[in-house]
Amino acid sequence: MSLSRRDILSVCGNGFGALALNWMAARDASAARANPLAPKAQHFPAKAKSVIFLFMVGGPSHIDTFDPKPLLANYDGQKLPESFGKVISQFTDGSTPILRSPWRFQQHGQCGAAVSELFPNVARCVDDICFVRNFHTESVVHAPAMYQVMSGRILMGHPSIGSWVTYGLGTPSENLPAYVVMPQPEGTPEGGTPMWGSGFLPAVYQGTTLRPGAKPILHLQPGAGVSVERQRARLDLLQRMNDLDTPEWDQEMAARISSYELAFRMQSHAPEAVDLSKETESTRRLYGLGEPLTKEFGTRCLLARRFVERGVRFVQIYHGGGPLTFQWDAHDNLKTNHERMCGMSDRPVAALLTDLKQRGLLDSTLVIWGSEFGRLPMSQSGNGRDHNPYGFTMWFAGGGVKGGQTLGATDDFGLRAVDGWHMRDFHATILQALGVDQHKLWYLHNGRHEKLTDFGGRVIPGVIA
Amino acid sequence: MRWFYICLLAAAAAAWNSADDAWVAPRKNWWAFKKVVRPEVPAVRDPWLRTPVDAFVLEQLSAKAQRPAPPLDKARLIRRVTLDLTGMPPSPAEVEAFLADRAPGAYERVVDRLLQSPHYGERWAVKWLDVVRYADTNGYEGDAERIHAWRYRDYVVGAFNQGKPFDRFVREQIAGDELYPGDTDALIATGFNRAGPLHVVGGNTDKEEIRQDVLNEMTGAIGSVYLGLTIGCARCHNHKFDPIPQSDFYRLQAVFAATDSKDHPLSGADSKKQYDEAVKAHKERLKPVQDEIAAIEKPYRERLRAAKLAKLEPRLVEAVNTAKGKRSEEQQRLAKEAEAQAKVSWDDVVNALAPDDRTRRAALRQRMHTINYEQPDPLPAAFAVANQEKAPETHILKVGNHKMKLDRVDPGLPRVLDPPSVPMAPAGRRQALASWLVSPDNPLTPRVMVNRIWQLRLGTGIVATPNDFGVLGARPANPKLLDWLAAELVSSGWDIRHIDRLIVTSAVYQQQVVQGEAAYWRTQRRRLEAEFLRDSVLAVSGALNRTLGGPSIKTPLEPEIYDLIFTEGEPDNLWPVNRDPAQHNRRSLYLLNKRTVRLPFLANFDQPDNMTSCAIRSTSTHALQALSLMNSDFMQQQAQHFAARLDSACRSNDCRLRLAYSLALSRAPSAQETAMATGFFSKGGNWPDFCLALLNRNEFVYVP
Repeated sequence: MSLSRRDILSVCGNGFGALALNWMAARDASAARANPLAPKAQHFPAKAKSVIFLFMVGGPSHIDTFDPKPLLANYDGQKLPESFGKVISQFTDGSTPILRSPWRFQQHGQCGAAVSELFPNVARCVDDICFVRNFHTESVVHAPAMYQVMSGRILMGHPSIGSWVTYGLGTPSENLPAYVVMPQPEGTPEGGTPMWGSGFLPAVYQGTTLRPGAKPILHLQPGAGVSVERQRARLDLLQRMNDLDTPEWDQEMAARISSYELAFRMQSHAPEAVDLSKETESTRRLYGLGEPLTKEFGTRCLLARRFVERGVRFVQIYHGGGPLTFQWDAHDNLKTNHERMCGMSDRPVAALLTDLKQRGLLDSTLVIWGSEFGRLPMSQSGNGRDHNPYGFTMWFAGGGVKGGQTLGATDDFGLRAVDGWHMRDFHATILQALGVDQHKLWYLHNGRHEKLTDFGGRVIPGVIA
Repeated sequence: MRWFYICLLAAAAAAWNSADDAWVAPRKNWWAFKKVVRPEVPAVRDPWLRTPVDAFVLEQLSAKAQRPAPPLDKARLIRRVTLDLTGMPPSPAEVEAFLADRAPGAYERVVDRLLQSPHYGERWAVKWLDVVRYADTNGYEGDAERIHAWRYRDYVVGAFNQGKPFDRFVREQIAGDELYPGDTDALIATGFNRAGPLHVVGGNTDKEEIRQDVLNEMTGAIGSVYLGLTIGCARCHNHKFDPIPQSDFYRLQAVFAATDSKDHPLSGADSKKQYDEAVKAHKERLKPVQDEIAAIEKPYRERLRAAKLAKLEPRLVEAVNTAKGKRSEEQQRLAKEAEAQAKVSWDDVVNALAPDDRTRRAALRQRMHTINYEQPDPLPAAFAVANQEKAPETHILKVGNHKMKLDRVDPGLPRVLDPPSVPMAPAGRRQALASWLVSPDNPLTPRVMVNRIWQLRLGTGIVATPNDFGVLGARPANPKLLDWLAAELVSSGWDIRHIDRLIVTSAVYQQQVVQGEAAYWRTQRRRLEAEFLRDSVLAVSGALNRTLGGPSIKTPLEPEIYDLIFTEGEPDNLWPVNRDPAQHNRRSLYLLNKRTVRLPFLANFDQPDNMTSCAIRSTSTHALQALSLMNSDFMQQQAQHFAARLDSACRSNDCRLRLAYSLALSRAPSAQETAMATGFFSKGGNWPDFCLALLNRNEFVYVP
């Protein structure tokens, strides 16, 4: 029961109450009908109920992490054989020599998936992970490639995947935003806020940035020195006036009244959701909250688990952003860059998978690890690598995904995907895991039935159990 | 032999053309492509009728045995029409004068006053800028500011305020440079062709691809803005539903083949000289500060670089240490690599600084930013286009891919409308397009425009899909009304105000909002659009700065939003806020609209992102709106302003209450509301809190 109803009853008091109650009940029902975020049924049964998308900003090198290419060592310092065709990237033209991976790979888990020594902790989780090594995308430039993986198009202005999912499924969370975004505190990805924008979908489906601390959501708290009681008194006055303005049939105004109650609930629930003080010492250790290198990203991964526990539908995390030293964009000094970026993220990512599993949440939570593209086998600046949209790895875990698998491949140099999957296939697979029919999830915009997967993507066979 | 091939090519092109003609021919019968024939105004008689518009509506309602809703009372009516025509509520004096004016024609006099208000053009501009997807930045990762774009925005405001005939408005925007040489306004108008997003990025970008994106933007806009056709859909294939073959997309694109973006200087050589001197003087002011920063950084940079060089492979070190002129070819390459590997970034330096150096440097950077506030204003220029001397050839592109060229096409207009031909000369193609758009033979331009006006004023268009008059779009709910208005627009000399007046003085417009499905004739529950909600708050609080036009304003940005501005550089001074606080209270139209970082207050209330043409704004309702409208610094300040305004005018609470209601809601409080307020104050409530609640109220946020 909303607080405003109680207020109305106390205001109306004497015998007027029953009448008011009927009226309020009708209004609440009307508001519920108008609530665009009310949970909606899946199109078909599927395990994943929520998504955590771990986006590694700038393009981690697949051939140094999850897609070993022993041939690179043999060709180190030599040119790419001509038979592999011409390669244009953003800054190089394919003429630079091959660069061997500075890291060793080993097989891990029962499945024997190969992971480089950069990810010792993630390596322990491979039996829950499905690696897909043959993704490809269309742009060699960060922002368009980011828009493509986030929204299906290289152009700006299309709804992000989290917007589509909340548009399609609504949210069971009554006290938190449906679609939560946590960028790197040091800076935003190249694509900026349109990466979690709702494009031409209504603003209600945009991602909401949430951050640790006392003010997790923008404008969450009333101004300094405003007590809860004073805030409540303002709100009561407002809601009493709103009730005067709102005819029983008016769903939109009724929804507006409810939105204030949700906002008020968020004021207490959001700080609780980001408060890690009740987490046990072992959980904090698991995520690496005690270590300077992992503390920040560990905190955001832990927050992701807490949001999913509280019913948030889509959690988008960006690891990296802003200055080059805080991105995976290793145009030079690949070794320093990736050791640092992996050092920050390996333990928290593994912790998230472990923690979700321990709590029985992994079955219903689809975890995605990926980026806008991978990196070239050839060098840039001698010891770095340029962008590679032609072939790269992303992985899935939880949410009905069949773990312990490695699907697809790139060629012997890790340059191009073999029978590759496009971003629309990536999206089709995610929607499938969530029980959403990609062709039924559309929105009419400027005369076109716009869909996340446009003309349709192929669900990657084998990913979902 | 040569002639043989030319003939063969011509034959192939002709075959393509005739196949497309044959494909289009059976689809010409679609209602939207038929000529506009002015219908007779229905001979219905009813005391309800006020303008011819009403006769068309009533005729249709009577046929369905429906009646319009009762008329709105006067106080709400003036509030509605003032919000609709100016984007802000009426002043208490305006309401009072209208209520007191019992002579016939009182309402029409209010409408005429509003149609002459400078705020009329501002309100219209917000609509037009949605349709043309205007923003102040390019978008994508660079998202650079278009420092001259605001002149196009001001041109639009001015066009509506001056009553510029719509046909002229169309001509100027598409081909002002060709048609009206020497006319600055017409030149600025061509910024229309550049309104869409633009991808600017370094490295090996494919110039042809980027050019193709620009051409796609220009071509698609003609369809969505003027023709109400989703021509952009024919970029990759023949349109799936409408008679637009793929070749037509590229023929229309060929109209723009010679069109280049250009910022035309709007000042003479003298100002250039003055400007250059001012820039020089400014740089001289900056130099000592920059030198001091460099001096602080120097030892750190050297140390960091040395440490990085020490870790490099010996052959790289050797290459760097060899004098530039003496490096072998291999060493030149290695030296370049060494420089890249040993480069010292700004954050390397900042992290290395000793605390006192860091403090000194931060203060100096602050000083540098302060000096930069006084950098000379850029020389005025028109954000416009120009023709290249030669128009590059245009080809049909397989699935829209610039690397897969098919047949060459000449410039042309959508064949379904039997248009005239377009000349091959580069300067003349756009004017042919513009002239055809507003020619008496074109049925779409006037229909699309009157429908936009109707949708703007009533909430739902006569065609419910204003950017799509094609097969997938809605059918006209009242075809006769649509055509009568279209004919009226043309015969009035394309006078937008005339159509606006016909609509807002109609009985249809003056109905109350009642329960019922959305329909073109039913006045809808409409929330104030984001910009007008903010403007109305400022107008009511008394803080509004009514200055018209000028460069876009940066208002203070919440730190959480500032953090979302992308940069790889040092993130200080990314958003230099206008130093004059009075500028922060300008109308929302004038606030800098950055494609990748949107102002949360406006974005939360469904301000479109302007990446694509927005014909109808969505209206979503969610908790973040409540948070913005209750808790943001902006609203807290405005509630204080509002309360202070009441204080300065009143001594008694009764007076304050009446004034608050009349400012915010254009009416007096009811007895129940007075009791509510008294109750609030008796429990310790204060006036700013009361004002805040009033500005959050449904009645304030919705058009009556």
